[in-house]
Amino acid sequence: MNNVRARVWVTRTVLVGFIVLSLQMTIATEIRVFGVVIQIALAFVVAAGAASGPGEGAKAGFVLGLMYDLASGLPLGSTAMSMTFGGYAAGWGRRYRLEPTWWMLAALAAIGAAVGEVFVPVIRVLTGETGVFGARIAIVLPVVALSAAILSPVLIPIARWALAIRPAEVRVTDADT
Amino acid sequence: MATYSPGRRRVVIALALTSLFLLTLDLRGNQVLDGVRSGFGILYRPINRAGEVVSAPAVRLWRSFQEFDDLEEENRQLRAEINAQRSAEISAQNAIIENQDLLALAGLESLASYGSVTGRLVGQSPTNFDQQVEIDRGALHGIRVGMAAINEAGLVGKVTSVAPQSSIIMLVTDPSYAVPVKILAPKDEVAIAATSTTVIPVADSDDTAVATSEANGEEATEGMVETTTTMVEIIRETGVLRGQGSDRLPRVSFIAPATAFGQIEVGDPVFTAGGSTSLAPPNIPLGRVLNVITRAGTAGQELEIEPTADLDRLQFVRVVLYQPASEVGQ
Repeated sequence: MNNVRARVWVTRTVLVGFIVLSLQMTIATEIRVFGVVIQIALAFVVAAGAASGPGEGAKAGFVLGLMYDLASGLPLGSTAMSMTFGGYAAGWGRRYRLEPTWWMLAALAAIGAAVGEVFVPVIRVLTGETGVFGARIAIVLPVVALSAAILSPVLIPIARWALAIRPAEVRVTDADT
Repeated sequence: MATYSPGRRRVVIALALTSLFLLTLDLRGNQVLDGVRSGFGILYRPINRAGEVVSAPAVRLWRSFQEFDDLEEENRQLRAEINAQRSAEISAQNAIIENQDLLALAGLESLASYGSVTGRLVGQSPTNFDQQVEIDRGALHGIRVGMAAINEAGLVGKVTSVAPQSSIIMLVTDPSYAVPVKILAPKDEVAIAATSTTVIPVADSDDTAVATSEANGEEATEGMVETTTTMVEIIRETGVLRGQGSDRLPRVSFIAPATAFGQIEVGDPVFTAGGSTSLAPPNIPLGRVLNVITRAGTAGQELEIEPTADLDRLQFVRVVLYQPASEVGQ
């Protein structure tokens, strides 16, 4: 049963990932807000985290991050790591609220997106790049976080479908922990 | 079916470590990962094309909304500029031809010596921390990693990744970008820097003209003496230009100050320096000095450079098929 579910999970996430990446590479790079590229892929990852919890969010982040690195020519693993942390951070809030309202999920998505985006320059610095931390991050973080929050009502149902999660499962397993 | 598994911390640690491992492998260069990347590119390309088609109307609508006023104003300015430049163009074309002839005579390299491939922009960097663009020409068209990318205004960047049908170009504003450059004196300061003497034989002597150079110390033969002068560029400084990110101008830090050739001033033109190890060929225009920053102590000066190429509105990019001697054998 778990194997079947894992296969469904991976297949759906990769399929949705391709579509999300395609939107990221085309529409998001053109439609910039204050010059900032809206991170649709990261928004999907944090939506997955907010919808299902930190573990699933981290896994979705890892898969989409790898696809993002492969598609954009970035060092493999750099975005995977930042999105892993973003998905995990977005899911962390689910520990304290079993049935969050839509705005709570949006807030979790915003926090996760900010965490994920702040890890991008951190990882670049670790790989030896310089000059990635600038005043611009003060604009980038709020825009990326806010856009993830705004997109969350659309992306959370898609993320639930992709991760094969039903709301009831969250309730039962949260009770276990 | 647990969504919150007890080992979720272990999961995130394992994923982070895997990312770190892949990152290390990729940064050190790994053929397997390169193969995976290439395969993914082939798989992803049609999906991306479909995405472009689907999103094109929305993108056009956004651009129309966002850029109409700017474009109208720019169009007005450009029309005035075209009128002013029409006369200058004729003399400039003449100067280019003369310059190419002189370079060919002296056996010096110029940009016209190299082949090039023109590519259309098909994508931009999806992140907020890289300045990269993607073009629709790749290894099948002769493009290799490291080659310089230019447009009609000047240097745009360099190729950092090549797939069979596409390439990724890092722009000069990217913090990871660096290129050796030279800062020249403006044209009105270009001096007569070399003199040569040509001896033209009298009519009844040998048919072949004999040319000697004073510099060689050779004895002049009998005949009419004609003195010619050569205009030589004055290099004020050479240094390394580094990108500073999209919101800041690229900067040049100096490695070889040569103040004997005058102080650097705002407006001095900046060109690529070339050289045996530089990935860019010499004499590609890059920009003009916008600001001279004097730093305390022995740090020396830094220059802020305004690129001549408008990197925000690139549509076509020409990749110069040039590889320095140090790279050709590899």
